[in-house]
Amino acid sequence: MDFRYTDDEEAFRKEVQQFINESMPPGWLGVDPGPEEETREDVGPLARQMWRKLGQKSWIGLTLPKAYGGQEAPLWKEMILLQELAYRGAPGMDTAIAQVDLILTFGTEEQKRRFVVPITRGEVKWAIGMSEPNAGSDTFAVQLRAVEEEDYFVLNGQKIWSSGAHNANYEMVYARTDPENKHMGLSVFMVDLKSPGITLRQIPQMTGIPAFCEVFFDNVRVPKENLLGEKNGGWQVLLHAFGAERTYGLFAIYNAKRYLDHLIQYCNETHVDGQLLSKDPLVRNRLAQMAIEIEVGCNLGHELNWQAIQGQPTVKTSNQIKVHGAAIAQRVANLGMQILGLYGPLHERSKWVRLGGRFSHEYLSTIGSSLAGGTTENSKNHIAGRAGLGLPKK
Amino acid sequence: MDLSFSEEQEMLWKSARDFLANKCPKTLVRQMEEDEKGYVPELWKEMADLGWIGLPFPEKYGGGGFTFLDLVILLEEMGRACLPGPFISTVVLGGLPIAKWGTEQQKKDILPKICKGEAILTLALTEPSARYDAVSVQVKAKVEGDHYVISGTKLFVNDANVADYIIVVARTADSANPEEGITLFIVDGKSPGITTHLLRTIAGDKQCEFTLNKVKVPKASVLGKPNQGWGMVGEIIQWAALAKAAEMMGGAQQVLEMTIQYAKDRVQFDRPIGSFQIIQHYLADMSIDVDSSRVSLHKAAWMLSEGISCAKEISVIKGWLSEAYRRVTAQAHQIHGAIGFTKDHDLELYFRRAKAAELFFGDADFHREIVAQQLGM
Repeated sequence: MDFRYTDDEEAFRKEVQQFINESMPPGWLGVDPGPEEETREDVGPLARQMWRKLGQKSWIGLTLPKAYGGQEAPLWKEMILLQELAYRGAPGMDTAIAQVDLILTFGTEEQKRRFVVPITRGEVKWAIGMSEPNAGSDTFAVQLRAVEEEDYFVLNGQKIWSSGAHNANYEMVYARTDPENKHMGLSVFMVDLKSPGITLRQIPQMTGIPAFCEVFFDNVRVPKENLLGEKNGGWQVLLHAFGAERTYGLFAIYNAKRYLDHLIQYCNETHVDGQLLSKDPLVRNRLAQMAIEIEVGCNLGHELNWQAIQGQPTVKTSNQIKVHGAAIAQRVANLGMQILGLYGPLHERSKWVRLGGRFSHEYLSTIGSSLAGGTTENSKNHIAGRAGLGLPKK
Repeated sequence: MDLSFSEEQEMLWKSARDFLANKCPKTLVRQMEEDEKGYVPELWKEMADLGWIGLPFPEKYGGGGFTFLDLVILLEEMGRACLPGPFISTVVLGGLPIAKWGTEQQKKDILPKICKGEAILTLALTEPSARYDAVSVQVKAKVEGDHYVISGTKLFVNDANVADYIIVVARTADSANPEEGITLFIVDGKSPGITTHLLRTIAGDKQCEFTLNKVKVPKASVLGKPNQGWGMVGEIIQWAALAKAAEMMGGAQQVLEMTIQYAKDRVQFDRPIGSFQIIQHYLADMSIDVDSSRVSLHKAAWMLSEGISCAKEISVIKGWLSEAYRRVTAQAHQIHGAIGFTKDHDLELYFRRAKAAELFFGDADFHREIVAQQLGM
């Protein structure tokens, strides 16, 4: 047993840290990983710059085969990269990478070359078209129809909660090709979002950021070569996609770690009644409790990474981290708001705002952390199920 | 990074589990709660023969030369089995301080006896203030000729009723800084002037009121340097907190496993209750507590074994488990229903131990303060 980073691991970590330092503006407070904050006007250009830079370094597809723009690097490198990016709140590594995994698993050779290389170069972004107004956690309730005609499929229907679709070039669309068969009647399409017949409507989130999108499909023709996997074989892709959300919870934890560090620094510098906030026993106790929760989460993350490196199943641990990470994200945001007191609810653009208004943003945005990528309750079902604690279905 | 266990560690794990499953049934655990001594001398001897009691001590004194991480593996299985007896007292509170700070003579006199299972040790630290701080050390030791004379009352001393040697933490000098002027003494348990009374606790462990009435000890019994004992105490508390956390970990793991099994077996409304989503979600939560504890425990133990400074990591795991173990056992009761609330069921043993263990060697608040300090607050 050895929890230390090896020399190679440590060297790569330093390289990543230096890259982030050089790429972020001075005094960067960080944004949440993922497509939401990249929607902000002040973050978007930086995010685009970062995808390209990460692409140029071949860091987007670190572990992928060289033929598809990757570096064939060991998995630990990707883990270090993602952790550092999340901890520093650097934008740029997004959900597209999860789509790469699907394309490499289910795609044809031609599809791999056509779709994966632009992603790893940081040239295109992808959105996910899974949810529909009546298919949230019940993903097999997808209704969007795809009808086969000549050499294309015609798509009609609607997707919703496609975060960042307005910034994306492609969307991975889960569609119904057999209305008679709920589980075996789905197919997955890689859809160019500029196709005729697609309309987008942005939905502002509670934070004010219009990152959610509704995507409407009106007789959208998708060429057959954009079908991923088998027709009516979408269930396989779907299950794989759930499994690929392995790192979601860890992002939340490293993100929370950054916010906690900011909060500790604030309490070490701010006097109330002539006493440093950090000397207030109640404040110390609550900050330390947060630190403990974050630390055990990070430790569980080490275990998860280790399992992945060993090629062991990660369903249980990744969902445990998803549940724990989402809860931590919400608690650290709440703690920050309480410590900031009346400054807490100020908007980031307010004159008197503290800590860049990050905590009022977090307080609102992290409500999504126990919903997005599968609800906490969904994750608990996975933990309890066959690949976890082995509890019976009936 | 490499999170795998060595083959030797895996074997230790398995052999400890098998041995304890066989030799430490719950009937014995319950019997020992009522027993005056609180342990079975024959079993103690067997454990010594297996090399368990000497596990972390140098081979030259009859020990196994294993690391703290190995000790933690063993302690997890002891916690799983609710093994009664003075193991942590003897090995961690008594033996390790002597191995680290003892004179050659002290080591030669005592460590081999520990390893052979012939000496039981403990640490007399806490007093009626019931706190783990230097201010609370009021028991006095005064120099008289070539001896010290110690007087005062220690409380909550584990296993003093059976101890052959007690490391007594006493004040030898008054100073504005309460951490100065504290000395540790290795006191023979049969010294005149010592009286020991068992305290009854909810966990059935053997805590004692330990009184020293003008107990005369030779100067050679000082452990480490006179007046500079508090730093040693701080370190011992860290080891003990980690050892306790290991026991708690094993207990929590066992409670999770027994509750999963119960949820699979127990049928209500014509189906196993483990198929109900609410029970599944309770168990999912419990598994998060247990699994996050395990890797955090091993990380801290590994760091200690490697000589890497780990005050924060030890406090993280003891602080976390102090609440997580209690949560897990309480939730297990909710799933078991009335049967778990009876003396007939094993769950109650763990529930009682979880609470007592939480309070030993620093509860969550105690360790959160250390974490706060370690974070630079």
